[in-house]
Amino acid sequence: MTATPATVIQIAESVVAEINAGDFSKTNLAAQRLYVPNFDLEDMKELRVTVVPREVEYLPLDRVSNKFHATIDVAVQKKFSKGDAKEIDPLVFFVEELADYFRLKRLNSLVAARCVKVENAVLYSVEHWTQLNQFTSLLTLTFELAK
Amino acid sequence: MSDLLQRGQAWLSDKLTKHASRLVTYQRDELSVELAATIGKSEYEQDDGEGIITRAQVRDFLINSKDLLGSDIGTWPRRGDRILETDGDTTFVYELMSIGNEPPWRYSDPFRVKLRIHTKLVDTLS
Repeated sequence: MTATPATVIQIAESVVAEINAGDFSKTNLAAQRLYVPNFDLEDMKELRVTVVPREVEYLPLDRVSNKFHATIDVAVQKKFSKGDAKEIDPLVFFVEELADYFRLKRLNSLVAARCVKVENAVLYSVEHWTQLNQFTSLLTLTFELAK
Repeated sequence: MSDLLQRGQAWLSDKLTKHASRLVTYQRDELSVELAATIGKSEYEQDDGEGIITRAQVRDFLINSKDLLGSDIGTWPRRGDRILETDGDTTFVYELMSIGNEPPWRYSDPFRVKLRIHTKLVDTLS
C-alpha cells in the first residue's frame, strides 16, 4: 500500500507539475522537487528550477481544524557567462512570471490549497553571483488550506 | 644593489615554469593564447548561500605575469576569462572567479613575478 504523501509534499509536487506545464517565457522546463538543492557548477549551464518544501505552520482555525500554511521555495538558477542585462533580464522576468502565476492561485491537483503569499526576497544571490558566476533567485510561496 | 630575494624568486619562478608546468589555453572572448601554467591548488568548494548548495572544483593556476601581459591577451586577468587544460582526450574548462573574499587573481609573490589565478571548473569536454 502506498501511503498518501504529507500535505506539504503534495503541495510541492503540484507546484512542480504546474511549473512544468505552464506557459512561460522559458520553455521545456524540467522543474524538480528536492529536499536540498545540491548541484555541481558544471551542471548549471542549463536553467534549473527546483521546488523545495521549507516550512509548515499550523494556526488554530476552529476547535477541530487548523489553518495550515506550507512554505515552498522555488529556486531558479543558471550559470551565466557575462552577467549582463541581455543575459540576466530574461531570468528576472521568468521569476516574475512564476510569481504572477502563483499569486492567489489554487493548485490544480489540490484545490483546497491556495497561494496566499508570494515573496521574492532573494531576487538574485550576490554570493552566488560573485563566487560562482551564477544567477540564483529564490521565490517563496505560502499556501494555505484548512486541515 | 640588487635584491637577493627578488633574484631568488625569479630563479624559482623560472624553475617552476621549466619543470613543473604544463601548457594551457587562456581565453578571453575570441582571443586565445597558449601559456605555461603551474597548478597551484586543486580542491573542492561548497557554497550553501540561501540554503541552495552549489559545489565546484577549484583550481589555481600560476602563470608568469610577463607571459600573460606579453601575449595577445595583454592585460591583467579578468573575471570570466577561461583556462582550458587538456588531459589526454579530455579538456577541462575553468573560469576565473572569486574565491571567498579574494578577487579572481592576485600576485603569487612579493615581486609580482607570477600571478595566482583562481578558477572553478565549468565544463568538461571529451
